[in-house]
Amino acid sequence: MKALWFHLMPYPGLDDRFDREAKSVWVDLDRSFFDSDVVTRSYHEYLDQLEHAAASGFDGICVNEHHQSAYGTMPSPNLMAAALARSTDEAAIVVMGNSIALYNPPTRVAEELAMLDHLSKGRLVAGFPVGTAMDTCYCYGIQPGQLRERFAEAHELITRAWSEPRPFAFNGRYNKLRYVNVSPRPLQDPRPPVWIPGGGSSVETWDLAVQNDYVYAYLSYYGYEQGKSTMDGFWDYATSHGLDDNPYRAAFLQFITVAETDEEARRLYKEPVEYFYQKCLKIPPGYSGAPGYQSEATYRSKLSSQVRKAARSVGNEAPTFDDIVDRGWVISGSPDTVRQRLEESITDLRFGHLLCLMHIGNMSDELTKMNTKLFAEEVLPKMRNRWPDYEDKWWPQACM
Amino acid sequence: MHVIYLHTLAGNPGLSPALEQLVAAGIEVVAPTLPGFDGISGWVPPHDHLAWLTEVWDRLDSTGALPCPVVGASVGGMFAAELAIFRPEAVTALALFAPLGIWADIDAADPYAIPGSQRLPMLFASNVPIAFEEQYTAQGEEGNVARYLAQMAGASLVWPIPDRNLDTRIHRISQRALLLWGEQDRIAPLETSKRWSEVATPNVVQGAGHLLEWDQPEQVGAALLEFLKEGGR
Repeated sequence: MKALWFHLMPYPGLDDRFDREAKSVWVDLDRSFFDSDVVTRSYHEYLDQLEHAAASGFDGICVNEHHQSAYGTMPSPNLMAAALARSTDEAAIVVMGNSIALYNPPTRVAEELAMLDHLSKGRLVAGFPVGTAMDTCYCYGIQPGQLRERFAEAHELITRAWSEPRPFAFNGRYNKLRYVNVSPRPLQDPRPPVWIPGGGSSVETWDLAVQNDYVYAYLSYYGYEQGKSTMDGFWDYATSHGLDDNPYRAAFLQFITVAETDEEARRLYKEPVEYFYQKCLKIPPGYSGAPGYQSEATYRSKLSSQVRKAARSVGNEAPTFDDIVDRGWVISGSPDTVRQRLEESITDLRFGHLLCLMHIGNMSDELTKMNTKLFAEEVLPKMRNRWPDYEDKWWPQACM
Repeated sequence: MHVIYLHTLAGNPGLSPALEQLVAAGIEVVAPTLPGFDGISGWVPPHDHLAWLTEVWDRLDSTGALPCPVVGASVGGMFAAELAIFRPEAVTALALFAPLGIWADIDAADPYAIPGSQRLPMLFASNVPIAFEEQYTAQGEEGNVARYLAQMAGASLVWPIPDRNLDTRIHRISQRALLLWGEQDRIAPLETSKRWSEVATPNVVQGAGHLLEWDQPEQVGAALLEFLKEGGR
């Protein structure tokens, strides 16, 4: 099994005024809630934390893309990945990823990821998320009913740009390019491993992963118990379409906090965990339900994304740390407690890539590094040998 | 005599009381539902504005009602104006109720930044008419899906802002025209009407929101009837 260290890079300085006055953490949050000095300091601390994770033995480090938000302050994951490609040597650089429907032309993404693959000497994993409604439809103005068609077209263009031996013309609905001939090509041949992150049970997301033999990465904020139905749905879909059940086809994101004892974990992590669930997910329903963002098929499936779940929770009573841990949204406690709960999750949900979210909300730099170190030393070694009979075919060769 | 009526962002729940005044006066109202708003499974929004116009014109031609006077409200007003611009022979007179397609950079409400349940009241100055309440009341799973698809159609016409650059071509509208605008329109505030003034002088309807023919049916119906009768003289 592989463990990856995932950073959302949230803005850590939201105060009580945010609770009273802000409608949303995303899209139209007033800039007066941001302090530039905090942003500067956070960026450097966050990169330090990712480098610390790589040095601590995590197999990969992950960055992702969000716009106009205090939930995640990383509009360009490629910039962060470029810095990490130079400051780390062995860990996979997992860009999770670029919302490819947003870029015109999407060959820009093909070019930047190819550059990253060279900068990292072949350690890149390329993630292609559709993106949240907030990022894509509200911040970048994409018509919700076009989003998936644009995504599919961008995916075709990027993968062809990486693999076609000669220049070609691309005549799409949204992208018309007479000459496609990106340079450089990725270092990995034929391309970096592709992972498809998703925040819910989108039939189209599963299908994209299954049809192209990509990794499906479920970015869950709601832990094992709510992840079960989604991951079961993915495995049913994959096996019914003739794929094997290699657990490395799947990745699962889990919030994790480790301390010497369960009681100590509660004392240390209560504030940052509540910060995340109470402030960083403050998203009004209007921003998560753009008509057309979900396809008809997914709408019919009656399975809604976790962001919609989060959106529905706005106005409800804010969950406390104890609620959050009891529900399994965060696995928290001593190394033994965390290992036991994670092992249940890994087995039942059947995934080979564990995406560990270990900086949460406004967690301090010192506490984040302690959390990371304890996990790497006390938990991870005992889980390494899970899935010994399976080969991870979705991992950069340079990191094997 | 007959006219074509093109409905609003909120769909086609049946003739408004304003249009029923036309029927009572012996005028047939042909009111096709715009593509997507009928909630037919499998429909996807056209990929650009020209593709939208093509779908709409195919539907209008299938009615066999053109040429005739065309009445359009909201997104229907946008399509009516486009028809008058590009196919002037098809439109003998043009009545527009708060047409979309031109944006005034002023404080307008975003109907898609609020929960769906709050979207409908935003369109009216006062109470939501029963016809709309019924249309938006879920009718089982298929009803829910149809409603969702209709909302997707509406969103695709105004996303991210309801401007399709009509300001660059409305000078080509040469038909006799009527322009009515709700004083309390929150989707296209009254200020927007000034940008249509080369088509017709805006007539402000007091006590009306974006769907003015539902908020003030008597006033709107009377103005429309007078406009159409003038054309017949």
